[in-house]
Amino acid sequence: MKRLILAVLAFTLIMSTAAYAQNLTAKEIIEKADQKQRGETSVGELKMTIIRPTWKREMQMKSWSKGSEYMLILVTGPARDKGTAFLKRENEIWNWQPTIDRTIKLPPSMMMQSWMGSDFTNDDLVRESSIVVDYTHQLLGTETIEGRKCYKIELTPRENAPVVWGKVLSWIDTEEFMQMKAEFYDEDGYLVNTMYGKSIKKMDDRLLPSILEVVPADEEGHKTIVEYLDLNFNQPINESFFSVQNMKRVR
Amino acid sequence: MILIGLLAFSLFGQGQDSPKNWSLSGYVKNMQTLLFFNDAFPDFQQGMLVDTFLQDNLIHNRLNFRWMINDELKLRTDLRTRVFYGDLVRANPNYGDAIDNVNNDYFDLSLVLLDENAWVVQSMIDRLYLEYFKGNWEVRLGRQRINWGISTVWNPNDIFNAFSFTDFDYEERPGSDALRVKYYTGFASSVELAVRMFDHFDEATIAGMWKFNKGSYDIQILGGYDRNYLAMGGGWAGNLGDAGLKGEFTYFLPLDKEQDDAFAATVGIDYSFENSLYLNGGYLYNSAGSTSASVTNLFNFELSARNLYPYRHAIFAQFSYPFTPLLNGGVAFIYSPVDIHALFANPTLTLSVAENWDLDFVGQITFDKEKRGYSSPIQAFFLRMKYSF
Repeated sequence: MKRLILAVLAFTLIMSTAAYAQNLTAKEIIEKADQKQRGETSVGELKMTIIRPTWKREMQMKSWSKGSEYMLILVTGPARDKGTAFLKRENEIWNWQPTIDRTIKLPPSMMMQSWMGSDFTNDDLVRESSIVVDYTHQLLGTETIEGRKCYKIELTPRENAPVVWGKVLSWIDTEEFMQMKAEFYDEDGYLVNTMYGKSIKKMDDRLLPSILEVVPADEEGHKTIVEYLDLNFNQPINESFFSVQNMKRVR
Repeated sequence: MILIGLLAFSLFGQGQDSPKNWSLSGYVKNMQTLLFFNDAFPDFQQGMLVDTFLQDNLIHNRLNFRWMINDELKLRTDLRTRVFYGDLVRANPNYGDAIDNVNNDYFDLSLVLLDENAWVVQSMIDRLYLEYFKGNWEVRLGRQRINWGISTVWNPNDIFNAFSFTDFDYEERPGSDALRVKYYTGFASSVELAVRMFDHFDEATIAGMWKFNKGSYDIQILGGYDRNYLAMGGGWAGNLGDAGLKGEFTYFLPLDKEQDDAFAATVGIDYSFENSLYLNGGYLYNSAGSTSASVTNLFNFELSARNLYPYRHAIFAQFSYPFTPLLNGGVAFIYSPVDIHALFANPTLTLSVAENWDLDFVGQITFDKEKRGYSSPIQAFFLRMKYSF
């Protein structure tokens, strides 16, 4: 469960990274997206579905974030986990367990945990804020994804950067600067998983894929889907909102 | 009845356009228990300990009701009903009273509905409190859990309502009839004062706690009066590199000169690897603990924050690993390096069978070194199906 939540952290950051960029060089696109993401807030409601060949599970949650430093997540379903909340403030994470009336501090290593077997690792994703600093960026050209013209950008980690990927390929819509697709490769150059942005909708003031699908490369029938049911940007949220007492109070 | 009344009341009080201001959730669990006694079951007729094997069953229902009366006031009522049947119930003629009287509640909000042959049905209001919160203030009155623990396994700071970790089926843990006033001073800091209801001062617990956050450490300091003892303690939860480092201690000074002082302290480290293997290790020092008592005491020792484990020393190690996203396995060991070398092994397997359906397997296996050598006097195995709603 905790791993799922941390994965949401990662997804949200990926999305907002791709949200706004203006133009031209690969680095500028990424940098502008990154700058835009900082200091912004988001309030959302989402559903995550894990699909395996023989089963699937759903989870619903609400999330509040400010930049990449602050985030609060409230689990709203399934019944067993309802009311559980997570708070992230810089490198500290707390977990509220309503059944036992207790706030539990989680070790930072929980952030580095992989989740869902081999689908994804949180490590580099949660450190998405380093996407400008830790990678070099190269514009490879444009390609059409789902009928939309996209910049194809290759991100190569810098030496000694705290990144697990060998490289990342990202397709960003040339008009709306939405990330339509991303491929994550390991250090030996093998594709690990692919993320697709789907079902483009106007959410709050901007057009974004409302569904993100992560498909691992070598696992037949495995998939994780994150669907944004509601997403609002740039509502003023005070930093003090991200507090231990608010984990109990948000609804 | 109270619950139904509240429900009706809240439905009545609800405006047409306003979002739902109440909720009802809970679960039903069915747990089968197998208990093996190896020269450890008291046979009163023969006046000796014998071998035996017992089989028991427990159906457990919990209803959690919440009512947001307005933006500042909330009512919570939890009802817990349990149906026991089996050999252990049959073997204990006073089973109903025994399970009914374990709580140290001021108000008697429980009822044994049936106690016949091998059957006992008991119902209790496990939580019942009003909560007022406004700004940085939070006031709670009624039966509530005042959970002051900060470390992972043992909680010497949990002076209001200590719990036994062998009782894994009671996740919510016991509450206290109390008044608690809390003022938040920051994102992870607060000052609070709590008083448990009492008739005589020697039954009272009155204590305060100050929590603050410094350098990625949550720190808490505790002081107060706890049933004829002065209690002073503290605890922390922080990071050592990427690992979690947590600890907690309390010193109990008796006001009655005939009683001994007590000191309980624990420290632990937990770490989660990238492959999701979770490790947790720790140590407890418990001055009130024994060095020679039989390990069978684990299931019936007098529990309090002053005495969280039957032994003076205890070393804890836990491993857990999600084999698949649906199947989680783990094992915990508690070893006491005392004369009797008590060892408690606790394997667990949890399987998500379907949405809202969980199947748990739990083992509680004890070992110690008594006259006849190293052996396992009690082994307990539990199979539990849980449906949450």
